[in-house]
Amino acid sequence: MSRKLLSTLAPPALALAALLCAPASAATLAEQVETCGACHGEDGNSRMPRLPSLAGQPNFYLMNQLILIREGVRKIPEMEALAKDLKDDDILALAAHYAAAPSKRSEETPDPALAARGAQVAASHHCASCHTPALTGQEQMPRLAGQRIDYMVEALKAMRDNRRTSADPLMVETVVGLSDQDLAALAHYAASK
Amino acid sequence: MQTRFISKASLRGLVTAMAVASIGGAAFAQATAPAAPPPVSDLVRKQAERSKQDVNLRGHPVPPIATPRDKLPMDKIKVPEGFKVEVFATGLAGARMMLLSPKGTLFVSTRTLGRVYAVTDPFGKKEVKTIAQGLTLPNGLAMKDGALFVTANKQVLRFDDIDATLDAPKSVDLSEKFNLPGDLSHGWRYTEFGPDGKLYIPVGANCNACEVNYGTHAHIRRYDADGSNMEIVARGVRNTVGFDWHPVTKDLWFTDNGRDWAGNEGPEDELNMLPKNKTGASFGFPYCHANKVADPDVVRPDPCAGVILPKALMGPHAAALSIKWYTGDMFPAKYKNVAFIARHGSWNREKKIGYDVVMATEKNGKVKVEPFLTGLLDEKTNSFHGRPVHILQLKDGSLLVTDENNGAIYRITYDAKAKTARL
Ligand code: HEC
Ligand code: HEC
Repeated sequence: MSRKLLSTLAPPALALAALLCAPASAATLAEQVETCGACHGEDGNSRMPRLPSLAGQPNFYLMNQLILIREGVRKIPEMEALAKDLKDDDILALAAHYAAAPSKRSEETPDPALAARGAQVAASHHCASCHTPALTGQEQMPRLAGQRIDYMVEALKAMRDNRRTSADPLMVETVVGLSDQDLAALAHYAASK
Repeated sequence: MQTRFISKASLRGLVTAMAVASIGGAAFAQATAPAAPPPVSDLVRKQAERSKQDVNLRGHPVPPIATPRDKLPMDKIKVPEGFKVEVFATGLAGARMMLLSPKGTLFVSTRTLGRVYAVTDPFGKKEVKTIAQGLTLPNGLAMKDGALFVTANKQVLRFDDIDATLDAPKSVDLSEKFNLPGDLSHGWRYTEFGPDGKLYIPVGANCNACEVNYGTHAHIRRYDADGSNMEIVARGVRNTVGFDWHPVTKDLWFTDNGRDWAGNEGPEDELNMLPKNKTGASFGFPYCHANKVADPDVVRPDPCAGVILPKALMGPHAAALSIKWYTGDMFPAKYKNVAFIARHGSWNREKKIGYDVVMATEKNGKVKVEPFLTGLLDEKTNSFHGRPVHILQLKDGSLLVTDENNGAIYRITYDAKAKTARL
């Protein structure tokens, strides 16, 4: 069955779009989680470069981001088709699901020298004041501990360079003016927490 | 259900291929060109330490889902004798600015949530429609000749004949003409057409406290409706999120939010007045703050020279936003030509302040500020129940107030009889 459907639908992006266009609430939470898992990891811990882990994020952060993603305030082309029909209730259920999932570190190995440098920048820029001392996040502030390094490097650059226009301006103000190297150091440090 | 038709493994393959492909190309190619380099903000958090404030102070989240009607903090709200506050509309998550069109649609903007709502039949069935979404900080609403102007960070969109096109709104993109900067820092704007028919748009400082280029930031500007003839009307304005013209003198009055991380007690927010003959005058930022406080970080000799000082102080970190001069007939005579000012409430202060509506009364050139709508701040627990943003006066003289935290609009009315009956 699956092979037949796949072979009749090309290119793959279209197939996925069609697949995910079904009214979201028609799918159960388990089915939705399976779809999300294809990118974000079955257990919400991503094993794919540049794709963020969702496990252990604050409930509010996930809920807030999913609403922003659904409506295109935060533009994620890969998620557009599947997010646009999510109902508030679906989003609340998905957020609760991933907030409760245990966070696991990715297969990346933080570089100790970079992490040490990152710790200094993080201290002088008070990252912990918003992201908490353990960097596990709170309310609208995401968990950084255990998050993928490659994802965080890109996220930090996008915020610094005004490409993630949905981002909280107070977060953006914190990283404007930092060098690529500082941002990489911060990501290595945060992931190692 | 359909996900079942494809095995888990092939779905994963499919999705991986797609994700990687678009991360490499389309995803970032789509991103808009970065704005001019923002000021170096290493200062930002260093300022935090020097301030001796709790460095863990942080912004409050905006709930993206509106509070249900029966959970609204109506029992907490207090107003003077004879006044009454009722729920006017709900289901408007993140509600900020309101605009009532002559044809009777109530438009409501948001900031972080990126939406613009229309409440049709606002005095009857009150149906809420989302007419725009996915915008960046679309705080600014204004109307001219039946066209709704939405200002969203660096975008200006004009929705012609909006009342008649609510189900399929179409916009003309005027962004290039207006050429607004795209910084996110203070990147949301309060907008209004002035008595001169010009569209007034403030551009806040692109930092907390830093040297700014007055030509591009920290000012209020005005344009012709098509985006031509830009002119700076006031500079040295850190971030104003509300202004109104005095009903008698026609001078422009505006609030301005003081900087963060310079102590719990200030500098205070300002209530400013730009005299008609002082177009282009400076209000002091970044060197001189309310009450002639020199900035500790951005130093220059004689910081307050030539600066127009505020008419009134609005409280440290209180986030004074909307100002509306009262010209209605419903409230008692002493409220005529009094300014109502919404204070959104502090984040950069250990002991919270604001979360209310105050009134400013001008007498012999002196301005007195007093509480009007209170109760949303619980001083005992240092917590809040709502965050007022914008005030709109209706034809009957009642006031509407948006609450961004609850996604609701309240209506304030006055009934002289109710007052005497209670006495
Ligand atoms: C086709 C791949 C794909 C699928 C399927 C997918 N996502 Fe995503 N998601 C992404 C990408 C890519 C990003 C990060 C984009 C970026 O770099 O900012 C992302 C980001 C997110 C974020 C923001 C994370 C953060 O740390 O800011 C959340 C929340 C999220 N996705 C939830 C979901 C949920 C829930 C589902 C299932 C309903 C889902 N995603 C399905 C690709 C996907
Ligand atoms: C003023 C509070 C604040 C401070 C200080 C702060 N952040 Fe953030 N950070 C946030 C918020 C809020 C977000 C969510 C952005 C959004 O709304 O998209 C965020 C997002 C992030 C993200 C994106 C994570 C994801 O899952 O997408 C990273 C990485 C990050 N912050 C790292 C840092 C680092 C490193 C520092 C210190 C240099 C720092 N932050 C300081 C508030 C803060």
